[in-house]
Order: sequence, then C-alpha cells, then structure tokens
Amino acid sequence: MKKKLITMISMVAVVAMLVFSLAACGNGSSDGGAPTGSGSGSAPAPSTGSIKIGVLVADVSGEEAQGFRSYYENYIAPNYDVQFVYTEQLSDAASEKSAIEKFASQGCAAILSLSSSDRALQIETCEENEIYYAIVSGMLDDAQYEQYKGYEYFLGQVGPSMETEYQAGYEMGKYFAETGAKKIAMYGAFIPNPMHVYRAAGVLAGIGATYGGTSDMGAVVGQIFGDQGIDLSKVQGNGVELVSYFQGYGDTTADELNAAIQANPDAFLSVGMATTFFAQQLSTANIPFSDIDSFTSANNASMKDGSLVYLAGKYSSSIGPVFALVLNAINGNVIRDAEGNAVSVSQGFRVATTAEEFDNLVKNDSGENPIFSKEVLDTVISGTATYDDFVALVESN
Amino acid sequence: MNKSGNGKRIAVKITGTLIIPVVFLVVLEIICLAGGKQMISNLTSFNNFMIYTAIVMITTLALSVNLNSGRFDFSLGSMALLSSTISAKITYAILGGGSGSAIVMLILTVIIGALIGLFSGLVYVSLRIPPIITSLGMTLLFEGITYTITAGKYIMGEVQNASMAAFSKTWVWTLIIIVAVLAVMILLFDHTRFGYDYKALQNGQKVAVNTGIKEVGNAVKCYMISGGLMGIVGFLNTIRNTNINGGQLNFASIGIMFTAFLPMFIGGYIGRYSNDKLGYLLAALCLSMLNSTFAAFSNQISASTQSIINAVLLVIFLIYLNNEGLLKKIFHPVQKAKGAGA
Repeated sequence: MKKKLITMISMVAVVAMLVFSLAACGNGSSDGGAPTGSGSGSAPAPSTGSIKIGVLVADVSGEEAQGFRSYYENYIAPNYDVQFVYTEQLSDAASEKSAIEKFASQGCAAILSLSSSDRALQIETCEENEIYYAIVSGMLDDAQYEQYKGYEYFLGQVGPSMETEYQAGYEMGKYFAETGAKKIAMYGAFIPNPMHVYRAAGVLAGIGATYGGTSDMGAVVGQIFGDQGIDLSKVQGNGVELVSYFQGYGDTTADELNAAIQANPDAFLSVGMATTFFAQQLSTANIPFSDIDSFTSANNASMKDGSLVYLAGKYSSSIGPVFALVLNAINGNVIRDAEGNAVSVSQGFRVATTAEEFDNLVKNDSGENPIFSKEVLDTVISGTATYDDFVALVESN
Repeated sequence: MNKSGNGKRIAVKITGTLIIPVVFLVVLEIICLAGGKQMISNLTSFNNFMIYTAIVMITTLALSVNLNSGRFDFSLGSMALLSSTISAKITYAILGGGSGSAIVMLILTVIIGALIGLFSGLVYVSLRIPPIITSLGMTLLFEGITYTITAGKYIMGEVQNASMAAFSKTWVWTLIIIVAVLAVMILLFDHTRFGYDYKALQNGQKVAVNTGIKEVGNAVKCYMISGGLMGIVGFLNTIRNTNINGGQLNFASIGIMFTAFLPMFIGGYIGRYSNDKLGYLLAALCLSMLNSTFAAFSNQISASTQSIINAVLLVIFLIYLNNEGLLKKIFHPVQKAKGAGA
C-alpha cells in the first residue's frame, strides 16, 4: 500500500514537473487565420486610417516579414491615411480564403498578399467578393498569370520574375568565379521550387559551367526540373569545379552539409535559406558563403563576421510600388498594361558584398527615408499615372 | 608456462578488442585512397567525426542499459528530442543565447532527460505491460509534447549562438564528454552495488530477486540513466545540426535508435575481450569512420544508399554472430577432434 502510494506520488510529481516545464516553455501563440488589427510581440502598432487594406501573411515572425510590416504600418499608413489589417499566420489555402472573406465583410478596399499557399484561390475569392487584390512578394508562374491577368479585381504583381531570379544566380556565380574561387559547394534550397531552379541555373552559368552539355537558360532549367535537383555528373566546369551539391532540409541535411565542408570548397553558394540554416556551421568552418535572401540583422551579423561575403536580397520598402498600384485603384485609377491586363513588373535584388554596403543599404531604407519614400511613390500615385510611369518607377530603384 | 599463458591471453584480448576497429580503419582508408579522397580532410571534419562518435557511443550505451535486461526502448529518440527542446527553451529564456548557453543547456538536458527517463520507468513498473508497448506509448507522448511546445517547427534561433558555435568549434569538449560518460558508466555498472544488482538481474531475474535484489528500483534507475544519456545525445544533436526538429510525430524520432544497433552488437563482441562500454566506444569510432567515408564520397553515394550499406553491415554482423560456433567448427576442426578425443 505504502509502495503504491509512493509510486503514485512520484508519478504525479513527474507529471507536474513536466506540465510546469511546458507552461514555462510554451510560446503561447495560436496559428489561427483570423484577421486582426493588433500587432503581437514586437510587431508595430496597428495603423488607423480611412482606407482599410487587408494583408495576408504566412510569416508573422521572420525578420523580413516584420520589416515589410513596419514599412507599411509605420511609414505608409501615416503618410497616406490608410489602415492595414493583418491576418495571423496563414498556413493553408482554406485559411487564406477565409481571411479574404472576413476582410471583405470588414470593409477592406483591397487585399495585399504576402501568403502563397494558393494564389489562384486568393484571386478567385477576391473576384467573387469584388475586392482589389495584388501580390506583394513573389510572382505567379506564367501559366497562372495568363489565366488570371484579365480578372477585373486582380491588379497585378511586383517581384522578381524568373529571368530576374536567373540573373541573380548568374551574378552571384560570376562574382565568385571572378574573385578566384576554384572549388565551390552549392545548396539548391528547395528545388523544384521554380525560383530556386532558375537561381541554380543562373549560378551554373555564372561560374561558366554547362549542364548536360548546354548553357542555354531554358534547356538547363528544363533539365533541373526534370532531375528534381542538380546531378553533379552532368555539370561540366570551366575553371571552377562544383565539388558538392545538396538541397532540401531534413534528417540528412547535417550529414550533407558536413560532406560539403569536408570537400574543402573555396566558397559555399546558396540559392536561398543558407543564411537561416547554415550560417553558424559555415562560419565555424571558415567557409565564405553567399545567399539570395534579404537584408536582415542576422545576415548583417554574418557579413560583419566575414562569413557571408555576398548577399542578393530584398529590402523593406521594395513593397512600396505595389501599394501605389493598389491605392491608385482604390482612388479610381486602375492601372493596366497595354493589353488591358493586370500589371506584372519584375523587380531586381540589391546586392551587398561588404558590411559597409550592407549598412548603407539598410540605412538608406529605414525610418523616415526609405528607398520607396512618399516623395518617390507620389510620382505614380495620381489619377493620371500610367502603366509606363509605374514600370519606370519600379525599374529605376 | 604461466607467463606464456598470460601473455597469450593478453594477446588474444588485445587482438579481439582491436581487430574490428583496425579492419574498419584499413578497409575504409584503402577505399578513400583508391578514390582519391581523405576520410578526414580538415579540422571541421574531425570535430564532426568526434561529435558523431559521441552521439553513437552514448546512444548505444542508453540502448544497451535497458536492452541488455530485455527491455526494448523505442522512446530513446523522443527522450533526446524532448529534453533538448525543453532545455533549449529554458536556456534561451534565462540567457537569451548569451555566454554560457552551451554548458547550461548541457546540464539541463541531462537533468530533464533523467526526469523523462524516470517518468518512463515509473510508467513501465506501474503498468506492468511489456516494455516494448510502454516505450511506443512514451514515444508518441514525448513527440506530441515536443510538437506542442514547438508548434511543429524547427528550433533554430534559440540554439544558434556564439556559445553553441564555440562548443562545436573544437573536439576537446566532445572528448571530455566521451571520457566523462564512459567513466561514470563504468563506475556505475562495474563498481557499485547498483551495477552488481543490475548484472545479477540480467543473468537471472528470479534468482536475483530471491536473494533480495529489488528489480523495480533497479529498472527505474536504468530508465533514469538511459534518459540522462539521451539528454546528452539531444544536446550533441543540437550542436551538430544547429537546430531541433520539433515536427517529429508518429514515431519519426525512432530512427536515432537504429544507429545504435550495429555498434551495440559490435561493442558486445568487443566486450568479450575487454569492457563492453569500451567496446561501444570502439564500435562508435567504427561507425564514425564509416560516416566520414560516406561524407567523402557524398557525391557518389546518396543518403539512401548509405542507409542500405549500414543495414547490410548490420545483417552481415548478425549472421556472423549467430553462426560463430559453426564457423569455429569449420576453421578449427582439429580442436573439435581433440575435444572429441578427450
């Protein structure tokens, strides 16, 4: 009896300890997709304005996402008398659709999308609810754009086109080839994600390599899609050798990264996410690396410690032009291209190769004087702004 | 005659202890040289080699503690996962990724791992259902708790800091862990009352119990030790991966246990000639050499092929162990005849 009692007490004590530990460690957040106007944690305070715009977000905590949000809420909102209403973290198409419907019922005049679970469904839902819609980050693939470009409420998209992604990879590869790298390791991120496929194809071209005997962009991209990755036996270098390649993120990643480090590369080139996944290991191994990502403080730290030597990235106010597009539409000037279709403009990356360049870019895009400032945006926010004006604005910055 | 006999016995012991690691080293080195590769090409590779050795050795010790007594524990991986998750969160809450994070997390993982092991052991002795079933339930429970804490995401920011990086930058810390764990395990299992009881229970539970040994207490302590060891594994995995995968559900964490099977059998074999714990260390060194060779040939050997090679090696070794007597008869017919004559 006594034995049983001791056993019971022990079990209860252990359970209690675990529960307390969990209570102490839990993040206390939920992933619901309900729209909310209030920021959480370190997020900026909600904006108040006469025009309400709903923002769909899939990432609420990432530094890039917070930078975007800060630009809209702390700079755009007070300057243009608009109110941004954000969703919680959206994780699937159903929650995106539900959020749009709620935004519509709350009287939002437009939807800006930073969430990409199902963009086609987002466009169709906005069309059904007669609410303007624009894509803030990323782009539809060609087939989807062709399908939806004529939709009345689909205003357009501003972001890197696939050709721009290829060019970003090309410039990165070329930089390392020109700075004397002879052996490189490469991380293909999440191929067959088209963005990563094009960037990877660009890197191969940039280091002067052929893939499957060709250097033609379309042919290389097609083969990478077909191979669902890069097959090293098909890479023919020209002075720069690709000594290791891996992609994805999972149980085998640590081994694959260790294998890449063991190959003693002069540089580690990533087409995305390396700064998040591998910065610590690459820094510890003293291997210079590059990435196509964004200008975050973590990347700034990596660049300052000398491990991150090349970064092509987005900056916080790069989402300014798409706001201009939306505000014009709300005010009655719906900008369409020459054929009357939704706008689709490619936006390039900024590149930093030194901490000083990095700091300058961040400094020039922060606070009261972002790259896409009110003064710059006002050149296209008017009842007479045209498609050409808009394209010129995006391409000039 | 005695001296000669002793000398022969020592020679047999040394040969039996070192034969497998030496064969591994020679064969793998030949493969590397033939392929124009180096098994360990730089200091970072050596650091990784040491960390992997520690992970395999400690997991093997944790597995063997219960398995040698007939208790199959599937929950080892989930214990490592949960203990490292909780300790990473607590450490970050206290230190915010600052100085001393690594050592605080290491201490916490051991304590929390031991508590999780204690819980597991208490459930086993309370429910009295087969340990394999209990461990499956515990695996699901621990994975579920981890998933709840992390919302199914990777823990990255909390475990990526200068303190953790400094730990992985040198092999010295890992060596200290290996030596400390081996010393504690040898002391506990070979030189304490608990260890004597453990061995007595292992060799004949009924007889041991009849002599007054308390099998329940011994089993619970074994689970605690196993949990503490898996806490260290959780910490080392965090150092190696620079993250903790909180999204492991439906027995996804079981895989870590299988890395310990081959070294456990190899270590058991080596243990016949020396100490079984030392055997686990040597077996872990063999596996780590194999892992480094795979890394050297990573462009030619995919992760799935590596799994197949590991599985084939395990099967070959098990076939050898099961047919050892038969092989002796084949290769030493004279002894058999002599034995028959006597």
